[in-house]
Formats: sequence, C-alpha cells, structure tokens
Amino acid sequence: MTDLLEMRGIVRCFGALRANDGVDFDVRPGQIVGLLGENGSGKSTLMKVLFGMIPADSGSIVFRGRPLVGHRPGNAMAAGIAMIHQHFMLVEAMSVVENVMLGWREAGRVLRRAAIANRVREASRRFGLDLDPNARIGDLPLGRRQRVEILKAILREAELLVLDEPTSNLAPSEVADLLTILRRLRGEGKGVVFITHKLPEVLEVCDEVVVLRAGRVAGRAAVAGVSRAQLAEMMVGRDITAPYTPNNRAPGAVRLAVQGLAAPGLAPLTFELRAGEILGVAGVDGNGQIELAESLAGLRPTRAGTLALDGREITRASVADRVRAGLAYMPADRGHTALVRTMSITDNLMLRDSDRPPYARGAFLTRRSGFAKARTLMSDFDIRAPDPGAVVARLSGGNQQKIVVARELDRAPAVLVAHQAAWGLDPGATRFVLDRVTALRDSGAAVLYISSELEEVLAISDRIAVLAGGGFAGVVARAAADLRQIGLWMSGRAA
Amino acid sequence: MTQRVSARPIASTRPSLRLRLQLGLAGRIGLAVALSMLCAAALIALSGHNPLTAFAAMASGAVGSRHQIGIALNRTTPYLISGAGVAMCFRAGIINIGAEGQIAVGGIGAAAVALAWPSGPPALLIVAALLGGALAGAAWAGVATAIHLGRRVHEVLATLLLNFVALLLVQQVLAGPLGQFGAGFLQSPLMPVSAWLPEWEGWDAHAGFLIAIVAAAALSFLLWRTGFGFALRVVGSSRPAAAYAGFSVPRLTWSAMGLAGALAGLAGGIEVLGVHHRLIEGFSLGFGFKAVTVALLGALEPLAIVPASLFVGLLEVGSQSMQRQIGVPSALVTVIEGLTMLFVLAATARRL
Repeated sequence: MTDLLEMRGIVRCFGALRANDGVDFDVRPGQIVGLLGENGSGKSTLMKVLFGMIPADSGSIVFRGRPLVGHRPGNAMAAGIAMIHQHFMLVEAMSVVENVMLGWREAGRVLRRAAIANRVREASRRFGLDLDPNARIGDLPLGRRQRVEILKAILREAELLVLDEPTSNLAPSEVADLLTILRRLRGEGKGVVFITHKLPEVLEVCDEVVVLRAGRVAGRAAVAGVSRAQLAEMMVGRDITAPYTPNNRAPGAVRLAVQGLAAPGLAPLTFELRAGEILGVAGVDGNGQIELAESLAGLRPTRAGTLALDGREITRASVADRVRAGLAYMPADRGHTALVRTMSITDNLMLRDSDRPPYARGAFLTRRSGFAKARTLMSDFDIRAPDPGAVVARLSGGNQQKIVVARELDRAPAVLVAHQAAWGLDPGATRFVLDRVTALRDSGAAVLYISSELEEVLAISDRIAVLAGGGFAGVVARAAADLRQIGLWMSGRAA
Repeated sequence: MTQRVSARPIASTRPSLRLRLQLGLAGRIGLAVALSMLCAAALIALSGHNPLTAFAAMASGAVGSRHQIGIALNRTTPYLISGAGVAMCFRAGIINIGAEGQIAVGGIGAAAVALAWPSGPPALLIVAALLGGALAGAAWAGVATAIHLGRRVHEVLATLLLNFVALLLVQQVLAGPLGQFGAGFLQSPLMPVSAWLPEWEGWDAHAGFLIAIVAAAALSFLLWRTGFGFALRVVGSSRPAAAYAGFSVPRLTWSAMGLAGALAGLAGGIEVLGVHHRLIEGFSLGFGFKAVTVALLGALEPLAIVPASLFVGLLEVGSQSMQRQIGVPSALVTVIEGLTMLFVLAATARRL
C-alpha cells in the first residue's frame, strides 16, 4: 500500500529565515500523525505548503500517487485534502446545512437543501458527530462547530484531514469526543495530521509523531514505543546555541513585587523580581503571556492583586505614571503597539517620553534637541538608517526592534518587562537584544523576560518560570533547570 | 496514471498597474487637479460649449476684478477654518463629519450674542460674538463626542446625524427668539453695524480670511510642534501604540473634537458677521461637507488647506460667473470638485 501523502525535501524561506529546511513528511491511509513543535518551528509553513497557500522553494509533494505541483487551496481541496483551522471558517448566522452547502458544487445550482440535509444526517450518524442539520452555527458550542468543519471535509470526500491545534479552544470533555471522532476517521481509512503541542493527546490518539524544530525534522517515532518524557525532550532538547553565562551576584532588593495579580486569562500570580535578576517566562504562546505583560504595563484591567515597584504601590497607576516610576515595557506586537510604523525614528524614540526633555519642554516639542538625542541613540544602539527622520516601516525588523530597545533602556528603568523581544530577529540582532537586556540586569535592574523561544529563556534567565493555562506551572533556578521537567510543564500538566 | 492536478505556476507575473511617477506629494496633487480639469473640459464640450471659452469665463469670474477676488476670499474663509479643524480630527483618526452642524450652531451663537448686546463697543462686540459662535460650535461637537464616547456610537454617525438636528435648530430659533417678525422668510433682524466684520475698501473682502490663515497656521503649529499634536498623530496612526505611549484616547478625542467644533463655530460666526450680517436659514448649507473636501484635498495638512480651499472657493465663484456669461450649468462645479477629490485621494492614498 502506497502512502497517502509523501512530502520530500520541502524547503521554504522567508528572507533569510529557512522556515522549512528539507522536511520529509508522510501520512499513510488510516493513520493519525502528530505534528509537534514549538512556535516558529515550521509546522504551519509545512501545512501551508501542503495546502497550496504558499509555494515551496523546492521539494516535491505526492498525494494519492499524483504529484501536486504549483497548486492552490482550491486544487488541494479538489484533490482530497481538507484543512481545519484553529479559527473556524463558518458563517455564524447560517445553519449547519447551509454552511455545508457553501461553495460546494454538489449542492447544486438550485440548492438541494433536503438531499444535503439527509447526507449531513447520515454522515453525522456514521462518525458519531451528533449534528442537527438545521441548528444555527452561532448557537453551537465550539466543539460542535469544529465537527461541522470535519463534516464538511467528510462530505467533500477528503482523504486527508489536517487539524491545526484542534483542541486549543475545547473543553476537556469535547477533547475526548474529538479524539473518538478522529479514531473513527482512521477506521474509515482517512489520513489525519494532528498539529499540537499537547503531549497527552498525542500519546492518546496518534500512531506516529513527527517533531519539527527550526524548520527541520528533529525526531520521528511510532507513538507505541515512546514515553511522554522522551517526546518532551524531542520537542525542546537541543544544543543551546547561546550558552548561559552564570550570574554570580547575589540578587539584591525586591524591585517589583507582584501579589495575587489576576485578570481574565490570568490565574492569580505572586512573584518577586529582585535587583540584578532576570526571571525568564517560558511557555507556549496563548497561555497568559500577553495578559501578564499588559497587566504589568497597565494596558489591561486587572481583577485583583497588587503591584509594587521599589516599594511604591502602582496597582492603579496609569501607563504614563508607570513609565515615570521606572517600568519599561517591550511589547511583542512590534508593528502596531511598540512602534508607529508610519512615523519617523525620532518620533518612535520619543513615543513614551514626548512630554519631557530632551524631546519637549512644557507643551512644546524641542525638535532640534530631540533630533540630536535620536542621533546619539542611533549610534549607541546601532540603529542603521540614513537619518533620524527615516520612516520606521522601511527599516528591517532588527533595526525596528533596536529602536524599541533604545527607547526603553535609555530611561535606565528599574524594571523591564520584555515580551518576545527577539521575535523574528536574525541571530545577530537576537544576540544584540539579549546582550542589552543582560547589561541592564548587571546595572541593577530587574527583568521579566517573556518568550516562547525556550532557547532565549535558557540563555538569559537567572530563574525560569513556565506559564501554562494562565498560571505558573513551575519556577526553577537556572542552574537547577531540567529540560525534561520544563517540557512537561509547558505541555500542560505538572509531572 | 499520474495525472497533474494543476501545472499552472503559482508565481504571479501580472504586470503592475501602479503608476511609477517620481513626483512629490504636491506634484501628485497638481497632476490630480490637472486631470480633473481635463475631465471637466470633456464634460463642458459634451454640453455643447467650447471648454476654452468656458474656462476663460470661469477665470475672469474668479479673479477678474477686485470685487470678484474679494467674493472668492469670503467664500474660501469658512471652508478653510472648518477644514483645518476637520483635518486635525482626521489626523487623530476621528472621522468628524459634523462641521456642517457645528458651523450652523456657531452662526446661532454669534447672532445671539450680537443681537443680545446691540450697544456693545465695535471691536469688543465682534470678539464676543465670534467667541459665542466658537463656544456654540464646540458645545455641539461636545454633544457628538459625549454620544460617541459614552454610548460607543461610531463618531461618523453621531456627528453626521447631529448635522440635521443643527440645521433644524437654526430654523427653530429663527421661527422663535431670533426671528424677524413679518420678514416673509426665516431670518433674524439685521445686526448692529458695530458687529459687522471690517471690510477692505474696494475689495469687498472681510477680515475673516485673515482669521482663517492665522487659524490654519496655528493648527499646523499645534500638530507638528507640540506634545499634544504628537499625541494626536500617534492616536491617528495606531490606537494600541497610543495606549502604550500613555496617551488617553478619550481625553484626546474630547480635545480634538472641541477644538474642531470651536473652529467650525467660528466659521459660522464669521459667515454671519461678515457676509449676511444676519442669521438666515440655510446660510451655511453644504459648508461642512466642503470642509471635508478641502481637508482631504489639502492632505490633512492645515497649511496645505489654504491653497486647497482657495481652489474650491475660486472655482465656485468663477463657475457662477461662467453660468451667467455662457450658460454652462454651475452644477458642473460640484462634478469638478468631486472629480478633483477622487483624483487627489487616488494620488495620495497609501503614500507611505
């Protein structure tokens, strides 16, 4: 029996980044393959190449014995590949049967509603989907909506279903139901690709698992002979390219005290940041990172808890007051929050300091001294651009981030909250950011370094916390950090 | 056996339709104006007239005499003042379509002050009446802002719908407290001469145009040289970035709307004190929408709105004369304005 899907040597570059670097990926009929990997490991890129959303730079795809060349999503669907996205592509105001008919040739030019509804009922029974064809999508819970997507794939005679993080929005009981449905699909001879980073689910339902790391296949194993610990190691275990330099100073006084901080999506958190310390926060994206960062920065209302900076309470302080009190923040969203892309370098350097020298005196901007300051910062922080009037959108990602770093560090803050500060940067720029943050720590500031790149967290942190489900799954000193333990914390459950 | 699903290469080789003209912003706007005039010429030709004769009539009507120039400057004044305020709002990402109503209410405010205090000393009375107009305009903009911020109604709806209320309000006060008894149509009594804006001898232009230039220059300074202006520009570019920078979006919205409302109210006051010397029903009909036009024509830069509003003012006065002289309908002006705006927007959109 030949493979359902054979992907060979897939390469896809985005600029200098090799998102897929010679990936081989196979699925046989009646097999569930788990595709694992951290954010940015190349999972989505591989699936987008498969589905024809982006072309591969090189490599070949053979599906059901036929090569897929230069295809588009429409061709992939016609060939029998169905993609079920994390965010469902359904019209909420329409019924199940209407959504099934949407864009489907077999629904007929004059819609054959009754006939299609019968097929929905029949398929729903066969796969245990339990769907009423006339229910309105908007009234269905998320788990049911996902089944509508699966139903669409089945009725369109898809042979391969790709599910992107299918359990991330589901309640535990719905997850169990989904896994049952996937087993039935396997029983019918369909191939399933299950993209996830949750190890327990992989172990429960997958036949084989492929782990991607930095665009390459880091491991491939039959699930039957592998333990959770081994999987966790495959996912995160790697050469640490940026080795950790131990910080020999004893931590100083408490600079930021967080007591019972709670917000929507954030379980009550209590921790302290001390002078001369970097607390790295690892974890898969979407586990409370943005909630934590923005609650600290004052950009998000909190439900409970107190914040104190150098002993001064700032729980209810405005964003501007927190900046004045010495709290620096590098947001993950570089394009819309950390920077105003349509404005100049000078404008962006003064973004959070526009009411004080050297950028302003009283209500008036002091443009000459602001310009001079911008020139100084550009040379100090190696921001490469023709002059401070250059528009930020035209700069590379590395130079953009250096503007954020320059602005936030030049204030000599007491506490820095950095969220994905090296996201999307090349190794040189990443090194630059990490070095500057380390230098800030050495000067006596406290740093909270939130990143889904475990490598960075390991390279820079003095202590490591893992965020999972909005709370700290564990906190450990860098010297005592055990990769396997961190991997297990990240994958959702404490060992 | 092997069958290609699709052999079509995915790479797009479609030729780019975008004009690759190396022109500055001013050059592109100039080109857009030229193109719209070309279209206008075609339309005039279609209506059976010689475009060159028509344009000559239009030019002589606009700048043919000192009187004509003065009339054109008077026409320009309200567009410039309220357009500068609208531009500031647009820069801050607040789509304020309410200048129409704010001008009308400003006219009520100015007329009310002038009629209530007929014995006031000349200079002081003018200042007081204009101030009354500005305050009334700001208050009207404040109503829209309160609805927008308090009830989260989109600002386009809040400002737009209040325009109709404002126009009816003018009728209401003219039918009641400010109306002239037995005049035959809705207007207020003539104002005391001490409240009339001074005029240039022989030019028939009132002092409003000077006020407008000063207002545009002041707004330009505010926008580019003050921290408040910086905050406005950040809010207009990215609201998340503005929150991150520590700017209060509601506070900035109140300020920008209040200021724009005051400027529109001032424009209404100037129209009443400078042109009609009384409040008349429909005295400001369409002004607010012209303000939006000139703001966009001027690329939302207050100083660039000076030439933009002069263009519209001259065009309108000139075309009326064109209609009188050779019978080309002056409605064509509306078409030319619309075309110009489309061309200019096409030329300046996505100019990053």
